Amino acid sequence: MSHTAGQAYLNTRVSVMSIRLFSPELRVSLSQLSLPALAERFGLSALLDEQPSIAARSRAIEQSLIQVLLTELQVLAHPMSPAERALLLAWGRQYALFNLKALIRGKLYALDQEAIRANLFELPGSIRLPLPELLRAENVLELLRQLENGPYHQIARQAREVYERQREPFALEAAIDQRYYTEIVRRAMGFHHQHLDSLRRLIGAELDRVALLWLLRFRFSYRLSPSETYYQLVPSMRRLTRERLLHLVNLDTFEQVIAALPPRLRTLLAECQTISEVQQRIGHHTRREARGVLARSQSAVARALAYLMLRESDLMRLFAVVQGRLLQFPEQAIEAALDLTEPSGNPVNTTRR
Amino acid sequence: MKHVRLLVLTEDLPQASLALAETRCFHPDTRPPTETRLDTLPGREYCEIFNQAKSRLDKIARLVPLDTASAIDAMRVVEVAELSALNDWLGRLWGEASGYEEDFRRLDDEERLVKEQQTALENFAHLNIDLGMLRTKTRFLDFYVGLVPRENLRQLEGATGLAKHILHVYMQQGDTAHVVIVGPPGARQSQLAAVLAAAGFQNLPIPRELDREPAALQQDLARRLLDIEAQRQSLRKTLEGWGEPFHDTLLAARHTLMLAEPLVTLDPSLRSAGQLAHLAGWVPVSAVAHLEQRLRASLHHPFDLTSRDPLPDERRLVPTMPVTNPLLAPFAMLVNQYGIPAYGEIDPTPLFAVTFLLMFGSMFGDVGQGAVIAGTAWSFRDRLGRFWPFGLMAGLSSMVFGLLFGSLFGYEHILPALWMSPLSDPLLMLSIALGWGVVFLTVACLLAIYNRLAIGNRADALLGHHGVVNLIFYLSLIAGSLRVARGDGFGSVPAALIASSLLTLGWQSWRHQQASIGEKILVVFIETLETVVGYVSNTLSFLRVAAFSLNHVALSIAVFTLAGMMGDFGHVLTVILGNVFVLVLEGGIVMIQVMRLQYYEGFSRYFSGDGHLFAPLRFRPLNH
Repeated sequence: MSHTAGQAYLNTRVSVMSIRLFSPELRVSLSQLSLPALAERFGLSALLDEQPSIAARSRAIEQSLIQVLLTELQVLAHPMSPAERALLLAWGRQYALFNLKALIRGKLYALDQEAIRANLFELPGSIRLPLPELLRAENVLELLRQLENGPYHQIARQAREVYERQREPFALEAAIDQRYYTEIVRRAMGFHHQHLDSLRRLIGAELDRVALLWLLRFRFSYRLSPSETYYQLVPSMRRLTRERLLHLVNLDTFEQVIAALPPRLRTLLAECQTISEVQQRIGHHTRREARGVLARSQSAVARALAYLMLRESDLMRLFAVVQGRLLQFPEQAIEAALDLTEPSGNPVNTTRR
Repeated sequence: MKHVRLLVLTEDLPQASLALAETRCFHPDTRPPTETRLDTLPGREYCEIFNQAKSRLDKIARLVPLDTASAIDAMRVVEVAELSALNDWLGRLWGEASGYEEDFRRLDDEERLVKEQQTALENFAHLNIDLGMLRTKTRFLDFYVGLVPRENLRQLEGATGLAKHILHVYMQQGDTAHVVIVGPPGARQSQLAAVLAAAGFQNLPIPRELDREPAALQQDLARRLLDIEAQRQSLRKTLEGWGEPFHDTLLAARHTLMLAEPLVTLDPSLRSAGQLAHLAGWVPVSAVAHLEQRLRASLHHPFDLTSRDPLPDERRLVPTMPVTNPLLAPFAMLVNQYGIPAYGEIDPTPLFAVTFLLMFGSMFGDVGQGAVIAGTAWSFRDRLGRFWPFGLMAGLSSMVFGLLFGSLFGYEHILPALWMSPLSDPLLMLSIALGWGVVFLTVACLLAIYNRLAIGNRADALLGHHGVVNLIFYLSLIAGSLRVARGDGFGSVPAALIASSLLTLGWQSWRHQQASIGEKILVVFIETLETVVGYVSNTLSFLRVAAFSLNHVALSIAVFTLAGMMGDFGHVLTVILGNVFVLVLEGGIVMIQVMRLQYYEGFSRYFSGDGHLFAPLRFRPLNH
């Protein structure tokens, strides 16, 4: 297949698949659906299964939604060129890294294999970690050393070096997250201008979101120093560039940071008082940017990635509703949770212990 | 092949697995039983423990080499308690052994650091500052000299700037950057330390007495490298000494794991309910009685063994017995490159072997060159493994045809031809090749028909690709063509048969289409055309068999023409090099052409190749 034909095919595929994205009405009305209605509408048979516990049902649903997302990723990656496929897989690796973090935590807290396995996702071969071998590793160091002999060697090496020096889960997970985003940026910057503009817009918006949230959390929740905070961030190629971040991390209050943001983000986040509000608004903004790329971009790979990001957001929103229903939360609580929904495998979920 | 179902008491499972492995005739079937109550996985815990223990033994064996595993001598059941105890012991042992591994890694890191220092030393010499001051912190300045991964450099530069420090890169080598970080001492030092740790910064000690001669410093570093190597040797000896007392116990542990492995291999096939365990598999018909006898002799409690023929819808699940004949084994390897014969399908290996040798010999007939091929295969039989008989037989076939053609290293007049030189009657050669093609394609169609009948697919045997109707068309076309060649005209019978067979095929295609009439007509027309063109071109494809035998002689003539233009030495050299050229280049091309005829004209007609090999449960040597 020629390059032009390949792009046309991929663009058509993305357009056909994009009708699966939730409509604005559905996103709003999702929280009002009952469990049987959710099961019927989205084919979530596991919801109605006689699972032994709510946790098991919730886990089965999460696994099936991730399966849906990653199957679509594979379908889109199939006709792509190696560089395009590598970018999509680099993005999809967040779920493998989620597994890696579960493994590391399990080893740190000396959980048995069965307990660790209960927290792992089944992933397709293209991004899967060698779980049986990693599960049998005796400790975190051995686990990371084993991972150094494969496609995750860079992340594993960096994580091991950090762990050897600091022996602290937060630093380890932060290093893993940082390398994850750095790898995406590296892959994206390898494209020529036809794709680069759209990718810069899409990934730049995502990195703006991630960098700002990390900055606010690290500086004002975890009280890290400016230099420590800056080191953990991944500069965006759009608004929160390296220079901008160097300036922002040096500010002492939440309000000062918001006031010093680039005009577009400052206007967007002007009235925010908490990190949660920032998370909610910038999340909407990132989705809007992704929708813009999906609707108007000429780059098939950028459109495919935008579709996957939006699809992930939809599926995680659906999962939040399912979980809320399973736990019998009131509708208001579910709606509040929906505004803060982030993909489960998203490294932003790294928390300091 | 029979499908066997075995019901045993759960406590007898380890013993049953040993008996099954011993007979080497049980290929596990991983499908769950139809009885939904048999839903427990009785071997799961055993499997987990085994895998952990094997992983630990593998890791230990990296440090304490073990002898190659021998065959199982004493058969005994390995209970889960024994396996668990072994796993715990191996875990403790690995805990100790991993300390040595870490020591080796530490020495590797030290060695790398010294080498980096050696490289940096020359660089220091060019810096226009007093490097002696970099060794110690001063009242006003704080220094860090060291290495950092290049990928972290840019981010670290920003972070050090925020901590009021300056980062200077004075050298980059591979993935590592050598940096000097300078800044004021004070509160920000602790912030910087955290950043440096996160960035993988590695302190590079600046040698004392830096003002000494560089050569002397380099000698110091070289001595340190020697010292590290000595430490490594000493560590190896210590490790050897540490491992020695465990050597026999580790061999025994490996033996225990070998005995436990059959049950682990069976794990995906095992299901149980209470005390009753179920397993199923495929067993060659001739081995069922032996298997039952062996189980009866081994198991302490009653068991139930039932066997039945494979059901029609299980055909793809039934394994195929591999070729065991050593002469056919290399040909089976080539057949398996295309696919494994499915159960019930005729194994094409014997036919492949015969036709391959016939075609290769006729296309590359030369006594001398054949002898070189055969001799080379014989000489390198150790390296070629099971493949050497292939080379030997190909060479012998080439020699036989060389005798028929009277060809010896391209010389056509030394040996009297038992038949004739191909170039003496090219038309006869081409006619024989064409006839061979007709026979080959006819046999291929007959095999396709048989394979379909064997699985009860009568419709495809009759009307499918290369089925009976296709064969009638093809043979009628050949008969008509032969009549035309003899000047008798095409003949009404062949014409009528061709017309009726094409009409039948067209009607069959029409029935299976769901499209508009126009589209149906178009598809039927194209398919009919494809059938006619396909059979004609496939038959003509066999002309290459004659073409290459002619080509072989022609190439030899070219070599001798060139040699004739040289002096004595040049003549001999040209003949030798020419023969090498013919052997390598033409031999390779002929091999590819024969494989092409086999795969494309033969296998694509009658061989599905979608089976899987019979892989019986057996004891496997666990080498590391």
